[in-house]
Amino acid sequence: MDSNKRLKRSAGGIGGSNTTRWFFVLPAMAIVICLLIYPLLSTLVYSFTNKTMTKTTFKVIGLANYINVLKDPAFFAAFGHSLLWTAGSVLGQVIVGFVGALSLNRIKNKKVQNLFRICAIIPWAFPAIATAMVWKWMLNGIYGFIPTALMNLGITGDMPQFLSTSRLAMPTLILINIWFGAPMILVNVFAALQTIPQDQYEAAQIDGATGRQSFVYITAPHIRTVVGLLVVLRTVWVFNNFDMIYMITAGGPAGASSTMPLYIYDTGWTGMMVGKASAASMLLLMFLILLCILYFLVIRRWEKEE
Amino acid sequence: MKKIKFSPGGCFAYIFLTILSITCIFPLLWLLVSAFKSSGEMLANPTAFFPKAWTLENFKTVLFTLNFTVNIKNSLIVALVTTAIATTVSALAAYGIIRFFPKLGNVMTKLLITTYMFPSIMLVIPYAVVMRAIHLTNSRVGLVLVYMSFSVPYAVWMLVGFFKTVPIAIEESGRIDGANRLQVFTRLVLPLVRPGLVSTAIYVFINAWNEFLYALLLISSSSRQTLSVAVKTLEGADILNWGSMMAASAIVVLPSIIFFCLIQNKIAGGLADGAVK
Repeated sequence: MDSNKRLKRSAGGIGGSNTTRWFFVLPAMAIVICLLIYPLLSTLVYSFTNKTMTKTTFKVIGLANYINVLKDPAFFAAFGHSLLWTAGSVLGQVIVGFVGALSLNRIKNKKVQNLFRICAIIPWAFPAIATAMVWKWMLNGIYGFIPTALMNLGITGDMPQFLSTSRLAMPTLILINIWFGAPMILVNVFAALQTIPQDQYEAAQIDGATGRQSFVYITAPHIRTVVGLLVVLRTVWVFNNFDMIYMITAGGPAGASSTMPLYIYDTGWTGMMVGKASAASMLLLMFLILLCILYFLVIRRWEKEE
Repeated sequence: MKKIKFSPGGCFAYIFLTILSITCIFPLLWLLVSAFKSSGEMLANPTAFFPKAWTLENFKTVLFTLNFTVNIKNSLIVALVTTAIATTVSALAAYGIIRFFPKLGNVMTKLLITTYMFPSIMLVIPYAVVMRAIHLTNSRVGLVLVYMSFSVPYAVWMLVGFFKTVPIAIEESGRIDGANRLQVFTRLVLPLVRPGLVSTAIYVFINAWNEFLYALLLISSSSRQTLSVAVKTLEGADILNWGSMMAASAIVVLPSIIFFCLIQNKIAGGLADGAVK
């Protein structure tokens, strides 16, 4: 920090710091303003108007869109699905990723450790379209590997229709999302585990600490900030995720797996009601912001304890 | 370090990781073997792993009959141009933040999460409206522009982590030798962070290569469409041939996996290192 200040002063002396420093950050700032802030403001404005996809003119209609959205049972169904989809996916990803990372950390043979790590990373590298298509093929109700195997092994009486049964669609999507997302948690938590100084464990062992005590007093405090941030990142990402559900079930069967982004898509693109879709987007964003504030309050408390 | 051979915890670790690894790689293997099976074979024996007769028929269909070469070209162009622009812009910004706006550098992760919060389905509506106004709908230029929205924030975040490791003393000596800011940046700093720069570029490329929603909604003609969306449209064919579908998916997934494995050490550390707050 100190040397930074020193350099800033010297930059002012030689290179005309004000112009130079803006030269570095301006292009990125322009991108953020044009591609993130402008669309946000424009969505906010649209949400109070009767704008549609086809017409260029529109007029302000006040809160009508918000009232419309909040009266729409499909909105609440989508919100409920979103909560289930996000909670189920994030919880599953964190549990699998966390247990995976702890297991990986126990393996002393570096070669084996690396092999497991590479295998576990594969799903993370899967493009959404490939994830969707390979799972759709494996779960296909007539020729899919998984239903056929389940039936041949006598676990189920007939071919289970994972993606076209209302009751099964969302849980199946969540499992696919856990498959996709757990590796990211695993790799990051594992990296955090590696930064814990080994001598702390040795000291604890000498003092007669049990494995559980070492975990609670050494491991957990070291990695919980990372885990907390991962949970925030994952929550936001999963909540906003459109691709995976759109490509696998498109929200079906009969809306059983339609989440908020799909609801916005149906309203804004298929239904062309930009105003209403914008109102729904703003509600989604507000919910996410509240959620993140809540998360950060928890994380800040942890940081203070350290 | 004490070596515990047959502890129950160690056993559990091996069993858990073995099951996890198999679950993780099985879909990839299944995708690949399916791509080499004839459709008759796929339907006759849905659980057989290896094809009885390996065939390239599916790849031929996808590349030549369905004209996927065009879509591969589109995806490559869009992803490469996005990578070049986003990496340049982000490298400048990350360096600028570290050296001139250090306070901003300390809240990078929060800023990244903030940009994550903007749902792409929300952003795409204003994008579509503006693109129509400036006559960039259905164009790859427009798509590249839009791709900056997710690649730049992430790339800046990654690069800030890498630039932090550059010792300031090197730059000061460069300044004393009479180099200006930009020269210090290009000749002294950039070479030092080259590995980080490469990882970032690869990560941006993967994300642009994999992108789906913006391409789906902003590009309407199939001759300009990217690979991900083209694969999705295969589903709309009269008879869905899963062999071709898996061959097409293999073409999308392989570059992504190869690149990902190259940089997996670099992207892993980000959150665990100092870049957290």
